[in-house]
Amino acid sequence: MPKEDSTIFASYQRDPSLFDEIYDAKGQIKDVYKTLFQLYGGHSIPDYMTLNEKARSSFFNQGITFQVYHDKQMQEKIFPFDLFPRIIDSKEWEVIEKGAIQRSRALNLFLWDIYHEKKILKQGVVPLELISSSENYLHQMIGVDPPGGIYNHISGTDVIKHNDGQYYVLEDNIRCPSGVSYVICNRTALKRALFGVFNHYETHTVTNYAENLLDLLESVKPHGVDVPNTVVITPGMYNSAFYEHSYLAKTMGVELVEGRDLFVENDFVYMRTIKGPQKVDIIYRRIDDQFLDPLEFRADSSLGVPGLFSAYKKGNVTLANAPGTGVADDKAVYTYMPEIIKYYLDETPILNNVHTYHCSRPKELAYVLDHIHELVIKPVDEAGGYGISIGNRLTKEEIETVKKQIKEHPRKYVAQPIMSLSVHPTYIDETSSFEQRHVDLRTFTILGKDRDFVLKGGLTRVALKKGNLIVNSSQGGGSKDTWVLK
Amino acid sequence: MLARVANNLFWMGRYIERSEHIARYMHVNYFSSLDAPNELSRSRQFVLNSMLRMIGAPEAGENEVLDEEAVLFKLALDPEHPFSIISNVKYARENANSARDLISTDLYESINKFYHFVLKYPEQHFLKKGLYDFAINIIEMSSILRGRIRSTLLHDEVYAIIMLGVNLERANQLIRIINAKYYDALYAQGSYEAKFSKSFEWTTLLKCVESYDMMRRFYKKTPTSLTTLEFLILNPNCPRSMMNSLNQVYTHIRVLDNSFRYNKRSTAFLVGRVRAEYQYKYIEEIEGNIKQFIEAMLKNLADIGDKMENEFFHY
Repeated sequence: MPKEDSTIFASYQRDPSLFDEIYDAKGQIKDVYKTLFQLYGGHSIPDYMTLNEKARSSFFNQGITFQVYHDKQMQEKIFPFDLFPRIIDSKEWEVIEKGAIQRSRALNLFLWDIYHEKKILKQGVVPLELISSSENYLHQMIGVDPPGGIYNHISGTDVIKHNDGQYYVLEDNIRCPSGVSYVICNRTALKRALFGVFNHYETHTVTNYAENLLDLLESVKPHGVDVPNTVVITPGMYNSAFYEHSYLAKTMGVELVEGRDLFVENDFVYMRTIKGPQKVDIIYRRIDDQFLDPLEFRADSSLGVPGLFSAYKKGNVTLANAPGTGVADDKAVYTYMPEIIKYYLDETPILNNVHTYHCSRPKELAYVLDHIHELVIKPVDEAGGYGISIGNRLTKEEIETVKKQIKEHPRKYVAQPIMSLSVHPTYIDETSSFEQRHVDLRTFTILGKDRDFVLKGGLTRVALKKGNLIVNSSQGGGSKDTWVLK
Repeated sequence: MLARVANNLFWMGRYIERSEHIARYMHVNYFSSLDAPNELSRSRQFVLNSMLRMIGAPEAGENEVLDEEAVLFKLALDPEHPFSIISNVKYARENANSARDLISTDLYESINKFYHFVLKYPEQHFLKKGLYDFAINIIEMSSILRGRIRSTLLHDEVYAIIMLGVNLERANQLIRIINAKYYDALYAQGSYEAKFSKSFEWTTLLKCVESYDMMRRFYKKTPTSLTTLEFLILNPNCPRSMMNSLNQVYTHIRVLDNSFRYNKRSTAFLVGRVRAEYQYKYIEEIEGNIKQFIEAMLKNLADIGDKMENEFFHY
């Protein structure tokens, strides 16, 4: 055994009030982590710093970066990546996988219903005003049948483990969930830096995402198309997720297009190639609903394609995800997920929902206003961790401001008990040691006509600031490779 | 392939090739002047002017004295100057970025490394003692890029477009370098051992396009104006010659347009026509009228570029 004090784990401090992923209930290191703990523990601090540097340059050289302005100069930064992987054993994973599929299927049926017969609203299971007051409900989609009957082809389900050891869903992302390319890059970077550790574990691959994505997209091709031509549409190379768009196009072997590369003629979509127009059948779109088609949505959009929506309504092109899915990943709809799953599938939810108070209901509003210090307040329609207030972190004045905001627009806010995200050992540069940091997990589910797929792995996001619960990369979060064991 | 992306890839090829030629011209001329046989060729002002001429920047005025560091900075690391190596590498990467889904990960990673190498190169080190190191690295990295282009991409239209960019630019740079060195040879003539036809500048010219060793092997004689120009313009076996570049351009344009119907408006027709003109020329017909040749050839290459733009990149 190497000397305790010289190794990288020597100073790891465990706060017993937090749920640490690598310890079991008795406070022992879990079996699945034992080998890993030993392998990493054998590294001295300078050793580990070198490895960390290697991993960083791997990202840098692969050009997996985002740009920030600093002193008028553009600088490229990498997303922080932690070399110590998170392990999920096959039993735990099965629950997550089944739960994610269940939610995606239920949401798909829900979307069909609210754009067609609206049974669930008529029967009062989900209140009508939840939908009618949503900015993301697209009246243009009423009565439209998406090819293959699929709305949310790609879902990103954000899951956390609470300190009761149970998984809870925090959010369903079914507009343009991003992050899957980082799952694969994290794996690549970890292999480059520490390939030896893979000899000790049997881990599911994550590189099969693109082939499944293409396969499932092609399963919902427009009627009458034999060999579909699939493309990925991006807002362009200055978009923060451009790397992911190009990665997905490359690994699927399809064209990456911008709006200006496409045009619509007689309700068919074509792309401009060096040999003239070529018909496009399936579009994996990474631009938001409002920018898809200036004739139908925002007229000032230069990212979209005039006439695209009309081609879509005629059934001549598949859009993934379908326009209008945003109405269902709204945080207010989230709170009805148990009812939605029960209603369409007649099943009990496999993954827990966090209990949610609706500020639109007077009784619950009163509770929220009285208990702000023990709740998280979330705007229902913001993504990226913006606008979230965590009750026990607010000063008295801040509490008053939040209260005022809620009272002004109760429909805009929901509140949840403060969930304690589990923690995971994470290497921290400033102290050159491992410390506990909160993590969540974004899983990726693809729905096709008669088949579905969940990527065995996912994006474990880490809140790098001590004590911070918000893991989004826009709020200083990093990520880890995630191993699902066979 | 998308027309917009084809255009980007074409320019990626051009910018890679261009940055390499500037780097080579800079260091070869600088170092060969250090022990050149006559005074004028040894003069620093003479070399700096030659560099400016090659990239198409304004040369020094009559009584102006060029500052060595300023000129070297302008050619290599000046981000404000569109002809500098750093700008070229930036453009190459930007073009590669937008076509990232089409090119191999290996090729992209090499371009990216190339970019970061130039971006991070310390300015003072370059100006004081890094000229050789910097230039050699640029040359080596662009060779790696060409290797990755050839050995990691599918040899289809994407490859043809990139190679069209590389070869058109190579021909273009060659003509520019011949032009610059031709003037150098004219200025440097006069004294004993400095006759135009036997000028030291022809050796430098050959080295500027990495063809000196092979030229010696082919002629087994000291380079003269005639043999140098013949080798660099007309010999199809010299990989850097104009003829070789035209042959390459012809091969790759045929991948995009394999119709042999008579179509005088196509790019392939124009390429074939230009190539045919030089395929059976004597160097004596060119050497006497080098200025005319240079002008005509630069126009030919520009016309081919314009034609390609209209035929393939119009979007």
